[in-house]
Amino acid sequence: MVSPVDSLFVKAQNTTLPKSLRPISPPPDNVPKHKHVKDLKLRTKLNRQAAHAARSKALVEDAELLLMSEAGKMQVETELERTWRIGQDDIVQGAGQEAAKGRRELKLDGGPYRSRYSRNGRHLAIVGSMGHVATFDWQTGTMHAELQLQETCRDITFLQDQSFFAVAQKKYVFIYDRDGVELHRLKAHIEPTRLEFLPYHWLLASVGNNGFLKYQDTSTGHIVAEHRTKLGACHTLAQNKHNAVLHLGHSNGVVTLWTPNIPHPVVQILAHLGPVVGLSVDPSSGGRYMATSGQDGIIKVWDCRNWKGTVREWTTRGGSAELEWSARGALGVAVGGSVNVYTKPSIQTPHVAKAPPPLYLTHPIPHRPLTSVRFCPFQDILTIGHNAGLSSILVPGAGEPNFDSTEADPFENKKARREREVKGLLDKIQPDMITLDPDFIGALAPPTKLTTAVNDTHDVPFARLPRLERLRVQGKADETELVDDDDEDAAEGDGDKNDKPQSRMEKEKRKMRGKGKSVKRYLRKQRKNVIDPTAVAIRAKLEKQREEKRVAKAIENGQVEARKPSALDRFRRP
Amino acid sequence: MVKISVLQHAPSVHLPARPGDPTPTTRNLDPLMHPFARARERNRALNAAKMDRLFAKPFVGALEGHIDAVEVLCKKPGSLSAVASGSWDGGVILHNVSERKHIRRIQGAHEGKVSGLCFAQDDRLLSCGVDSKIKLWDASPQDDITDQRPLNEYPGKSPFNSIDHHRSDPLFATASNLVQIWDETKSAAVSNLTFPTSTETITSVRFNLSETSVLGSIGSDRTFTLYDIRTGKAERRVVMQMGSNALAWSPTFPTNVLLASEDHNLYTFDVRQLKTPTHIYKGHVAAVMSCDWSPTGLEFVSGGWDRTVRIWKEGQGTGPEVYHTKRMQRVSSSIFTADARFVLTGSDDGNVRIWKAKASEKLGIITARERAAIEYRDTLKDRWKHDNEVGRIQRNRHLPKPVYQAAKLKRTMLDSRAVKEERRRKHTRVGESKPNAERKKVVIAEQT
Repeated sequence: MVSPVDSLFVKAQNTTLPKSLRPISPPPDNVPKHKHVKDLKLRTKLNRQAAHAARSKALVEDAELLLMSEAGKMQVETELERTWRIGQDDIVQGAGQEAAKGRRELKLDGGPYRSRYSRNGRHLAIVGSMGHVATFDWQTGTMHAELQLQETCRDITFLQDQSFFAVAQKKYVFIYDRDGVELHRLKAHIEPTRLEFLPYHWLLASVGNNGFLKYQDTSTGHIVAEHRTKLGACHTLAQNKHNAVLHLGHSNGVVTLWTPNIPHPVVQILAHLGPVVGLSVDPSSGGRYMATSGQDGIIKVWDCRNWKGTVREWTTRGGSAELEWSARGALGVAVGGSVNVYTKPSIQTPHVAKAPPPLYLTHPIPHRPLTSVRFCPFQDILTIGHNAGLSSILVPGAGEPNFDSTEADPFENKKARREREVKGLLDKIQPDMITLDPDFIGALAPPTKLTTAVNDTHDVPFARLPRLERLRVQGKADETELVDDDDEDAAEGDGDKNDKPQSRMEKEKRKMRGKGKSVKRYLRKQRKNVIDPTAVAIRAKLEKQREEKRVAKAIENGQVEARKPSALDRFRRP
Repeated sequence: MVKISVLQHAPSVHLPARPGDPTPTTRNLDPLMHPFARARERNRALNAAKMDRLFAKPFVGALEGHIDAVEVLCKKPGSLSAVASGSWDGGVILHNVSERKHIRRIQGAHEGKVSGLCFAQDDRLLSCGVDSKIKLWDASPQDDITDQRPLNEYPGKSPFNSIDHHRSDPLFATASNLVQIWDETKSAAVSNLTFPTSTETITSVRFNLSETSVLGSIGSDRTFTLYDIRTGKAERRVVMQMGSNALAWSPTFPTNVLLASEDHNLYTFDVRQLKTPTHIYKGHVAAVMSCDWSPTGLEFVSGGWDRTVRIWKEGQGTGPEVYHTKRMQRVSSSIFTADARFVLTGSDDGNVRIWKAKASEKLGIITARERAAIEYRDTLKDRWKHDNEVGRIQRNRHLPKPVYQAAKLKRTMLDSRAVKEERRRKHTRVGESKPNAERKKVVIAEQT
């Protein structure tokens, strides 16, 4: 008979999601089923997550179809034609009316000039070495600020957007607002030569003649880090946009990579045999390639993943070259009296011969020296700073055609700019999170070596283990001496055949006295968890003596033949 | 000829067509366009977790009126605002929670404390007390408060501890030294239900919400008993290690019952399988005095002798939300409101307090954008909860010092007990004593 209480056993038949909450797109194929997972609840959860991930991946692929603009290009029709033969006049004629505005010549006194675009490519800041500073919206031609600073200026950069810019002047770095009003004199940055702004960390980095790399947080005003490079005056600085690591090129040919939290370079390579003069990191491949140029006239492309030699290198005429990669991977090289542009697959494919890669575009500029090359974000424009001002040329295919309004929008209005500033501040990443691999955040932590097992038994709770045991479990205990002692005792115990396991006290008692006792005692006392150089040296010495003893014993037993003395032995080190 | 095309953005596409129009936005989901996406998202999750704690102000207000400890609270079925509270001074107050006003106030409803309250049909209220009386009151709003007489009075033989009304029929059950079923129209009990051999005092009785003729009770013999009014007898009973103080049937999963135990824990049982509880909820540092399910059946609230209110998620045995104030004393009754947004607690200091069920929820009108932002933040918090920093902020709760110390002491005691047990096991013969699962320690015997 069924008890009335058992009538509660009615199961719900339909527990599906209401229609309004179900996803619209059909379920994706090839989703892992996690059949190996026993736990039903976990398996369901994993399946759901996998389906969600697959679905969103498919949706992202769909979204690529919605990208509106197409990248510019120059395409040859026959094999005999070469794109580099096309001059700027032809390109301007082939370009649309709006795009043709990009071809400009700014004739200015007080050069040579350097320039910098804002992150959305709308605004341009220029600085002449004699102290002429100007920022303007180059599309509408609206001037924001123009200053005659009357002293040597070496570099300029916008901060988070066009409303602030920093200038590396003769003695210090100064920050000006959009209208050119001096806001801050950063006295910590002495004799700066190059500036970089890390937009997601709100860090202004400068490197100067004294060889110090300094990071200043522009949202709080604190100096975050000061690194002494110990490599003298530095005139080359570039940032990797994907991991915010700064690349420094030094006058002895060394390129060093820096993060704020490590006081020494994370990577150091000898790149050139003379001073490094140009440096740039490829943003189109996630910061995978770095290009350097030296005063020796050599340009090298490096693979930042392994640093095993260069991917490609070639020699240019005309001495030191300025470099910059564009957002789509075109490398602009300003050397001698002309600018050359190389494009992507060829400069990144390994090539043994030291021949230059096929040229994409070239443009002569008769105003030496050429001191800066900058690609304009989201435009096919390359701006070259030189002695007589600035020249902008069109490089079809250099710019990323589709911008994202949440990151950088050339058409943003005042309200959007303000909104983005606040959002940027809220999302500010802490400086100590800069690492070579930016994906370590949110990745699985490496498996810990912690285990509560002692001799593979999980009896005692970890917290209740004695300290040494705990250290041993953690792999932190210094057990070198203990093992040696046991070995020796075992060797000594070989004489009497009854191999009973002896207690520690017994061992100690039966130990032969007098042989290196003081050294042993010393080492026993040194059994701590700090690596001491003296203890290490003594240990090495003991090890050596033991090895000699072992060899002598082996020779005595006839297992090994004694080495005959040679005439060359006199040259051996003791 | 060389084909040349140069990139250009048409301003007409990217600028508003007319002044006042929103500026068009474009998206490019290429990961290279979004450097540090993960780091920034983590940052946002961290901010969301911090904001969540920043806005965690759960106390909404207090309903005053009682001059002694509040013993019992009950909500009116089908109403969002009507709540009745009974006190040790014998008074019963009907509150309008949304307006925080008294609908009706009955002073001296019983001699001694009011031990049970429940709503009957047609806007009437049943109360029982330790004066061995059950009274039926009119619970409709009235202007003159002079009329303090009950509609009906049912005399009992012994002091009552609890009362509960049948879901649909005009029946109600009371708990004294036995469970009695009463008809609203008859002055004597219709039937007496008791487990054959039991001599205990029944402390609480509750009708199942879905299988309406089944009722459960807890008693002073550390028992939980199931009855059926159709057969008119006790069906099953379990004796537990420690007694329970309150029970509540799940509103959405009819076989689930929640017991608030004297041993600081809460247990859910599946009545089909009474040998072990389905879940143990650990967190209180003193006896749990009351519990109530959220109408969604996904959460429940408990109030304890440790002067804290805790809100638990079903199936998640640790880390509940903890509410406390300096002035709140031992919490003797706690209920969820019918919209699952608020929690009411009655405590020894004579106040009925209103708390938010979600501590950082914003009250009032929420715009669509705000709602979207809240949902985004919730998702972020959930996605990054395994991050050390985010998780720590999310989990951390400030506790009053005595509660914190008691929890610490309790943890120490339990740890050392576990270690002692482990050592004992280590030194007995292999296989002689096996570790006992925590869930199997709860029930001593199951009787039918």
